[in-house]
Amino acid sequence: MSRMLTRKLLPVRNILPPVTKRASHVHRQRYDVIVVGGGHAGTEAAAAAARVGAETLLVTQKTHTIGALSCNPSLGGVGKGHLVREIDALDGLCGRAGDWAGIHFSILNRRKGPAVWGPRAQLDRQRYREFIQAELLSTPRLEVLEGSVEELLVTDPNPEEPGRHRVTGIRLANGSRPISASSVVLTTGTFLSGSLFVGHTVSPGGRIGDAPSSTGLSQTLRERLGLRVGRLRTGTPPRVLKDSVDLSLAKLHPPDSHPTPFSFMNTRTRCKPEEQLPCYLTYTTPGVERVVRESLHLNCHIQQDAKGPRYCPSIESRVLRFPGRRHQVWLEPEGMTSDLLYPQGLSMTMPPDVQLRLIREIPAMHRAEIHTPGYGVQYDYVCPTQLSPALQVKNTQGLFLAGQINGTTGYEEAAAQGLWAGVNAARWARSLPPAGLSRTESYIGVLIDDLVSRGVNEPYRMFTSRAEFRTSLRPDNADLRLTQKGSLLGCVSSARRDEFLRVKLRLQDAEAALRALTLSPAGWRKMMPGISVSESKNGTLSGMDLLQYKDVSFEMLASLFPEQLSPHIEFSERLKIEAVYKPHCDLSKREVERIQKEENMSLPQDLDYFSLPVSLSKEVREILDRFRPSTLGAATRLEGMTPAAVVNLLNYVQIAERKERMMNRSNAGQQEGRGEDLCARNASLPQ
Amino acid sequence: MRVTVYLFSGRNVPLCRRLSSGDGVLAGLADADTIFALSSGHGRCGVAVVRISGPAATTALRCMVGLRKHLPPPRTALLRSITDPHSKEVLDRGLVLWFPAPHSFTGEDSVEFHIHGGPAVITAVLQALGSVPGMRPAEAGEFTRRAFHAGKLDLTECLAHVEAFIDFSEDELIEDGVLDRVDISVCDLQAEINQHLKDERRGERLRSGVHVVIAGATNAGKSSLLNTLCQRPAAIVSPIAGTTRDVVETALDIGGFPVLLSDTAGLRDSPDLVEQEGVRRARERVQQADLTLVVVDSTILPSEVKQAGAVLLKHLESVLTSQEQPEAGRCLLVLNKTDLLPEAQREQLSLGLRGTSGLPPVCLISCQTSEGLKDFLTVLQSTVQTMCADPLSGAPTLTQARHRAHLQQCAAALAQYWRYRDSDLALAAEGVRLALTGLGRITGRVGAEEILDIIFKDFCIGK
Repeated sequence: MSRMLTRKLLPVRNILPPVTKRASHVHRQRYDVIVVGGGHAGTEAAAAAARVGAETLLVTQKTHTIGALSCNPSLGGVGKGHLVREIDALDGLCGRAGDWAGIHFSILNRRKGPAVWGPRAQLDRQRYREFIQAELLSTPRLEVLEGSVEELLVTDPNPEEPGRHRVTGIRLANGSRPISASSVVLTTGTFLSGSLFVGHTVSPGGRIGDAPSSTGLSQTLRERLGLRVGRLRTGTPPRVLKDSVDLSLAKLHPPDSHPTPFSFMNTRTRCKPEEQLPCYLTYTTPGVERVVRESLHLNCHIQQDAKGPRYCPSIESRVLRFPGRRHQVWLEPEGMTSDLLYPQGLSMTMPPDVQLRLIREIPAMHRAEIHTPGYGVQYDYVCPTQLSPALQVKNTQGLFLAGQINGTTGYEEAAAQGLWAGVNAARWARSLPPAGLSRTESYIGVLIDDLVSRGVNEPYRMFTSRAEFRTSLRPDNADLRLTQKGSLLGCVSSARRDEFLRVKLRLQDAEAALRALTLSPAGWRKMMPGISVSESKNGTLSGMDLLQYKDVSFEMLASLFPEQLSPHIEFSERLKIEAVYKPHCDLSKREVERIQKEENMSLPQDLDYFSLPVSLSKEVREILDRFRPSTLGAATRLEGMTPAAVVNLLNYVQIAERKERMMNRSNAGQQEGRGEDLCARNASLPQ
Repeated sequence: MRVTVYLFSGRNVPLCRRLSSGDGVLAGLADADTIFALSSGHGRCGVAVVRISGPAATTALRCMVGLRKHLPPPRTALLRSITDPHSKEVLDRGLVLWFPAPHSFTGEDSVEFHIHGGPAVITAVLQALGSVPGMRPAEAGEFTRRAFHAGKLDLTECLAHVEAFIDFSEDELIEDGVLDRVDISVCDLQAEINQHLKDERRGERLRSGVHVVIAGATNAGKSSLLNTLCQRPAAIVSPIAGTTRDVVETALDIGGFPVLLSDTAGLRDSPDLVEQEGVRRARERVQQADLTLVVVDSTILPSEVKQAGAVLLKHLESVLTSQEQPEAGRCLLVLNKTDLLPEAQREQLSLGLRGTSGLPPVCLISCQTSEGLKDFLTVLQSTVQTMCADPLSGAPTLTQARHRAHLQQCAAALAQYWRYRDSDLALAAEGVRLALTGLGRITGRVGAEEILDIIFKDFCIGK
């Protein structure tokens, strides 16, 4: 294991220069996949597409901001940590990058049960960027190009299939020749018609210090492709000079004494346990509220009605919505050697002088100096109901969208979409059917299903409560849920596949050993006098049954049966969790099967819901036409769908499927009996 | 007409104050129609109860009972003339009760009319109610759905609080004591559910009648008892031919309560295959019965009381095979043919058996001479009444076995909340989720999935 960690972590040193060297020109005129944007979505998309086997080009405005953490210097958390573990199980970058760059690790919700544990880390911004850039450089088939995309090249709609465009490539701003590609993944973040807000000043852009992206892209999406867009807003707090803050007036918040790595491939983090930096907790005061109220007239961003994130609100909206209360402010380190602090919870958009007045109302910051003021961003997003579950724009073949452009917020949400869009962009380029992830098997599946079947009306953030099958979708078993699937798709390295197979077999052995240990309840009571062992139906209880008890640990059982169990001590925590959760997961299996059945019943994308000869109300027809659910399951989850409408739709789909099957069968007679095969392929291939 | 007058003002009421019996404000949000129905079961009975629930319930008081200015005091019976709101014709004279929200069984404003049980009167009152604006007849099970809707809202809120605690408490400031309030709500809801579950199938019985089975050895006089009961003018409604040739069912009205009386084949070991089948079915009937009348030929009993008691106990055991022991109130022992006994022995049995432990209430009758029949009917009536309880009081009755099953699931799921409350909040929350699904199945708001469940169960579709 430690060998693996070293191997993964070593190549980073002294490798930054080649990235820029390579970025000056492109080596080919045609790529399988072009990824636009170098943020969390873009880097995962490019790396995943290349892993799956596509010749990939990543285009970004500035290569040195690839992998930049634009907002908070942290990764993971409750729900978000689940996403990081799943991305890692599919061999994405962010989990390993987090282990490399983390300087303060903690598992949130430690006392609330393993299904909702939230692995989280404060990051060193510099180290995170280094890792991502080095990783992209060492990825075969991936090139990086510095440039601004002026135009997305698409064909005119195909007259055979009304409204269907096809992507052909991009054109850069410097007027060079177009670069063609089978798939393009747009991960433009807040840069799509982005505006920056500080006080009364509004300027075009998606991140401070970066040039605004061209308006051409936004125009193509809206006018050429006719996509519906909405507007969202977000913001970031001012960065504060560490030396100017009196940390003795804030509460010290230490990290976990033993850092838990994000990645299934790592047994330790780069940062040694004792090297970790603490965070600090402090609170707002009535003075903060007063400054917000006094400066409202100077605050352009807050007066706009674009929807902001309810779950990561600016200090303005926090004190306005909950006046008279104190609010938490976390002071987080920005890096191992950084002299800045990140005041989480103080995102603000008032003029810089007022920002300074505001933070000085907080005792710990009464003499604080601001390094960079906070600012707000408003940006366009493409209503994600216009996407397929592969994150492909339904009316444009080969065009994929991922990240904030789809209305989400957060690094982890962006990275998850990026990875899946990258996999599918590569598959599209190689004429393979799209790959899907069910909400019954992953948080990534929940995220994508929520986006494409329900849309968003505020920035979408992942919570564990969004997952119906939370007890089975745990951070500890993300590898068992996804790595094999990733391996079949070709997006998992051989090293990870081997490690996964080793872990899987060892876990199976350990479970078998536990099941083989059977004693009568009385026998167990004799061995473990402190545990009140209850009777069992068939007279005996296995080690697996005993491990379900709250006060029984694997280590306890291993000390009683060293010969059988001590070889498995490496997996003691995973085995304990599995034992406790297995009965609950088994209970929800039927529900999982039902959802999977529904998800298997696809609704044709070109269905004309208004002329469908089924009994459906006008309202339901409008909803279906607007959202164009791709499966019956997605239709069921639409707001405003009535049970009767679902049944009628189901009947229609069944009859249609039966007809198709009959036709295929008669065709099959002529085509050497390959009808069923063709049918399956037709159903899953976007036409 | 849809009445959507309910206000959101109740939204800020703290959770702990909104006990699960339902705060009318929230309970009414989704059910703004006012519904009415005959809630005392169909068929002829002494008193019929018509229930009205919803925001326009008071309209019925105003325009049909002449209580124009003052609403009656809550939960107090008034004797009034009930008139047609349009023709002003007097339909009946009966009791009127007013239950303001939230202290009614649906949690909404409710009104009850207790009227005479004749079909003409009932029909007239229901038709008159239907003509009142804002009212419509209740759908099957709708009263129960409304009653549980309030509980479901509370549970939804509970779940939301637990989820907030899981997803946000580490990052943001979640008020202290969120989980304590959830605890209180879950507790209240559990208590309420247990109360519903304890009603001993009262509601089902009210709807479809108390199942009374006459069982016993051959020639004990079972059929005579059935005939005797049926021949009493007050009892007869309509004899229905049995669906099986060996079990005869008769619908009766005993003291205002619907009773389904079955006569079964005599229990004995017989080499005859047809008779064996009859005996098997008889035993099955006894197992399903709400009340078993075990008929015994009193002339075959030993004359000594103690010995007679022992024989009877043994006999009961063989008749009520599957029941672990005759539950209190689930069985009556009928000693028939007392006209053939000497007077002294009759006295001895009547007095002596009363004290024998393990024996159900004993009635001595003679179907031949009708001796003791009156006393027997009194005992029968009071037993049936206890089983149905008084429909005019008490908690909402679970009128369908399906509801009971879902409620039991809900109770089990809430128990899971407590099992994991301190050790694993994810599993505790799972308990609340499951409980909500259970309640959702009663209130009928989980909709689409339910239907698909059935479809996927009954048809082979999908891949």
